[in-house]
Amino acid sequence: MTTPPEVMMHLSEAAVSVELETAEMTLNIGPQHPSTHGVLRLVAKVDGERVSEVEPVIGYMHRGYEKLTEVRTYPQITALVNRIDWVSGFANEIPFMVAAERLMGVEAPPRAQYIRLILTEMARISSHLIFASSYPLEIGAATPLMHALRERERILDLLESVTGGRFHPNFNRIGGVKPAAGAGATTKKVSQDLPAGFLDETKVAMERVVSVCDDLDGLVSGNEIFQARTKGVGVIPVDIAKSYGVSGPNLRASGVAFDIRKVDDYLPYDRFDFDVAVGENGDCWDRYQVRLEEIRQAARIITQAIDDIPSGDLQAKVPRIIKVPQGQTYVRAENPKGEMGYFVVSEGGRIPYRVKIRTASFSNLSILQWILKGILIPDIIAILGSLDFVLGDVDR
Amino acid sequence: MTDSPSETTSPPADAASSADDTAELAAAVAAAVGGTVAQAEFGTAKVAVERGNWSAAITAARDEAGLDFFNWLSAIDWTKETTLGEGVAEPDAVEERFEVLCMLSTLTDSRKVIFSVDLAKDDASLPSLTPLFGGAEWHERETAEMFGIDFAGHPNPVKLYLPSEFEGHPLLKSFPLLSREVKPWPGKVDVEDMPSTENPEAPPAEAAAENDDGASE
Amino acid sequence: MILALEINFWLLLVIKMGLIAAVISGAALVAIFGELKISAHMQSRIGPYFAGGRFGWAQPIADGVKFFQKEDLMPDDADPFVYKAAPYVVLGGTVATFVIIPWGPDLSVRDLDLGLFYLLAVSSISTIGVLMAGWSSANKYSLMGGLRAAGQLIAYELPLVLAAVGVAIQAGTMSLGGIVEAQTHTVWTIGSVDIALPYVLGGQLIGFVIFITASLAELSRTPFDMPIAESELVSGYMTEYSGFRFAAFFLGEYAGMIALAAIASTLFLGGFWIPGVSADTLQYLGPLVLAAKMGALIFLFIWMRWTFPRLREDQLQSLAWRWLIPAALLNIAVTAVFKVVF
Repeated sequence: MTTPPEVMMHLSEAAVSVELETAEMTLNIGPQHPSTHGVLRLVAKVDGERVSEVEPVIGYMHRGYEKLTEVRTYPQITALVNRIDWVSGFANEIPFMVAAERLMGVEAPPRAQYIRLILTEMARISSHLIFASSYPLEIGAATPLMHALRERERILDLLESVTGGRFHPNFNRIGGVKPAAGAGATTKKVSQDLPAGFLDETKVAMERVVSVCDDLDGLVSGNEIFQARTKGVGVIPVDIAKSYGVSGPNLRASGVAFDIRKVDDYLPYDRFDFDVAVGENGDCWDRYQVRLEEIRQAARIITQAIDDIPSGDLQAKVPRIIKVPQGQTYVRAENPKGEMGYFVVSEGGRIPYRVKIRTASFSNLSILQWILKGILIPDIIAILGSLDFVLGDVDR
Repeated sequence: MTDSPSETTSPPADAASSADDTAELAAAVAAAVGGTVAQAEFGTAKVAVERGNWSAAITAARDEAGLDFFNWLSAIDWTKETTLGEGVAEPDAVEERFEVLCMLSTLTDSRKVIFSVDLAKDDASLPSLTPLFGGAEWHERETAEMFGIDFAGHPNPVKLYLPSEFEGHPLLKSFPLLSREVKPWPGKVDVEDMPSTENPEAPPAEAAAENDDGASE
Repeated sequence: MILALEINFWLLLVIKMGLIAAVISGAALVAIFGELKISAHMQSRIGPYFAGGRFGWAQPIADGVKFFQKEDLMPDDADPFVYKAAPYVVLGGTVATFVIIPWGPDLSVRDLDLGLFYLLAVSSISTIGVLMAGWSSANKYSLMGGLRAAGQLIAYELPLVLAAVGVAIQAGTMSLGGIVEAQTHTVWTIGSVDIALPYVLGGQLIGFVIFITASLAELSRTPFDMPIAESELVSGYMTEYSGFRFAAFFLGEYAGMIALAAIASTLFLGGFWIPGVSADTLQYLGPLVLAAKMGALIFLFIWMRWTFPRLREDQLQSLAWRWLIPAALLNIAVTAVFKVVF
């Protein structure tokens, strides 16, 4: 299928390595390193510039989420889980909410579902803009960082105006989203749930986001050096992706047109018209292009959702103290990084018995040992960046 | 999905049909791998497999049932008593065991099935799935260190998340969350005195709030 | 110097060295400030904002003061002599190239007959300094950065030299003053106007492109900054240096940029000469003209740094050995043919 990496040595290198006896050096990349997206340690055996083997060491950010969920009530867990993948905070809450609601037999009202969808897509744009800014930086181009992050600031401001938090929204509630801000026991619930002007400003922000994608296309995608650094590098074949559980844009870049938004019904995506971005070869270039295209599609979804948003309640009627009946369910969502799912085991009561958190970056990162064999050191950085993982997602 | 925008709650309109789909899926897969349907509600199909049949069942699921995407692998510690949170609803009805779960899905549609096998606590070992799925390596390492389950034939059975000197298996219900209860405060280690303040001698009081149920919402 | 005074040779030398030191420091500060501001505006930011009013002109000075007052650190395992000497070797090699740069018809520290030869020889000394820094830091990342730098600097010496050789052939002399003078020779006469072209337009365009590319690589600037690839090797061979020694490296990098810009201006753009101005005026105007041309090239260097990603090491080497050197050799051959035939 693909040339084994060990065979791809340049002919001149092969000649030299026969004459010169060189020793292997063990190089520690991380845990503190500008390019490892957090505290990831790679113990690399290198021979000059060529890596023979890499052993990833993770767990520096293990916070014990699954143990914590065994001592927190469901609403308390909501506050915790958006910190798993902190770049796309809102999207982490959704599968857990839907799982708890499913076990309770409750469904969020339509307006709440639309708001959840809009905010999830905004989280997707925010996460992909971080990727679009930091990936060229790791390849060496420093300027796209500023342009992409400038647009991301717009999105974060909008998120903050609705939820109160840029990165950790805590906006979901069992049965819907948080009711009108500022409404309490003593104030009259007068204001609309979403801040005034939010929907219009979001539309403007979406246009700006699409235009920055075009800017990035011109600045980065058209650059021959960028293409030379990313095309053909770090190819993930489909059978390896299936075997290791690689999901999200990494999987779609390899040519598999699988998007959980199209197959599962955790949010009303079937009402909107959007394309699934698919790549061809599964190299770093394709992963970059797939994510840029996903930003455009997310903007498209948001614009449609804003035009279509129904009015109504923001939260279904649920008891004040949430007790989830006995049952087990697995709900998954298409997070920006890939597939995120929660397997919730409830034994009745206010606290779950066990929550297994399936995170995208954990599975995406497990291919490292396979994919980083026999490549050059700069390619390690290129591949790590293109997998777009976050250590909080890997380590939980 | 609901149609009229002003309704607040209603069960999903096609819940009945999707529940049927799940039941069908569970039955079909159980037949293909030689297991039994453990659950088919809440949109989740779970197939229980005998311990001796584990590798064969997963292989059959991958090759015959078309579930070739390795999603995750983990375990549940079923005990009658727990020191933290809430335990099982009916302690007398529960059998003390480990339930190892492996979820496989497809990349063509939304089929996903969880395979479960029960292990006795004093004999918690299972053949490793790494020959079948490369991704099982990391998931099994995590399950092994969190629960103490041994995966026979695993190529690299070292701890994944925890430091290698860590004692205990954190996700067991018997493992307390108060880490200082297990290991005493190591004392002054590599810490220099602040210029004009003294180092506190006593360990910081661990918040016992984990066991308190917080106020709702 | 043109002054009719009889000044002792040694005193004159000291004065000239002092002037050059001042010029290098001043120009480096301006270049650093320019880089900060230009890159900021390219990235829709403002850049230095606080030091020196809202324009931030005092930022490089503030940075310099900061470097001077930092603690003098050296890793335990580092080789003390080599570690301490490395920045000065790098700086020394760069500063030595300023000796022959002609700022005006008689304005150079010493206009050697073998100016070009001396220049290219002396600018290679910095490579040794880089290797010294990388090896003596007792740090695997520095070592890798040093080795990458050595490979890159040696590889790109050749295109640099060969491109300059093309100019030397066309001018018929290796002295830089002579090269500028050769560019003042009339190439065409249209009507009553004598037109003289700088070499970049007068047949050395390819040489110019090769020279600029090789200069970027010699300076370890993006797209050739593998030795200092920030996202991979932290700071490459400079990782363990802080304080004054880091300032020496930093200064050396910008001094090198200025030196190479000056040389490129002299070889290809006509140096201190502009058409229609007499030689006497050029004694005073020459430095300004050269500074303007250097400014344009420095702007180009800065622009390219902030636009392009970096080339991988093997791509970099392949660019040098498979593209630039053959192109430079072809350039020399063609130039020689033209020189002999026409």
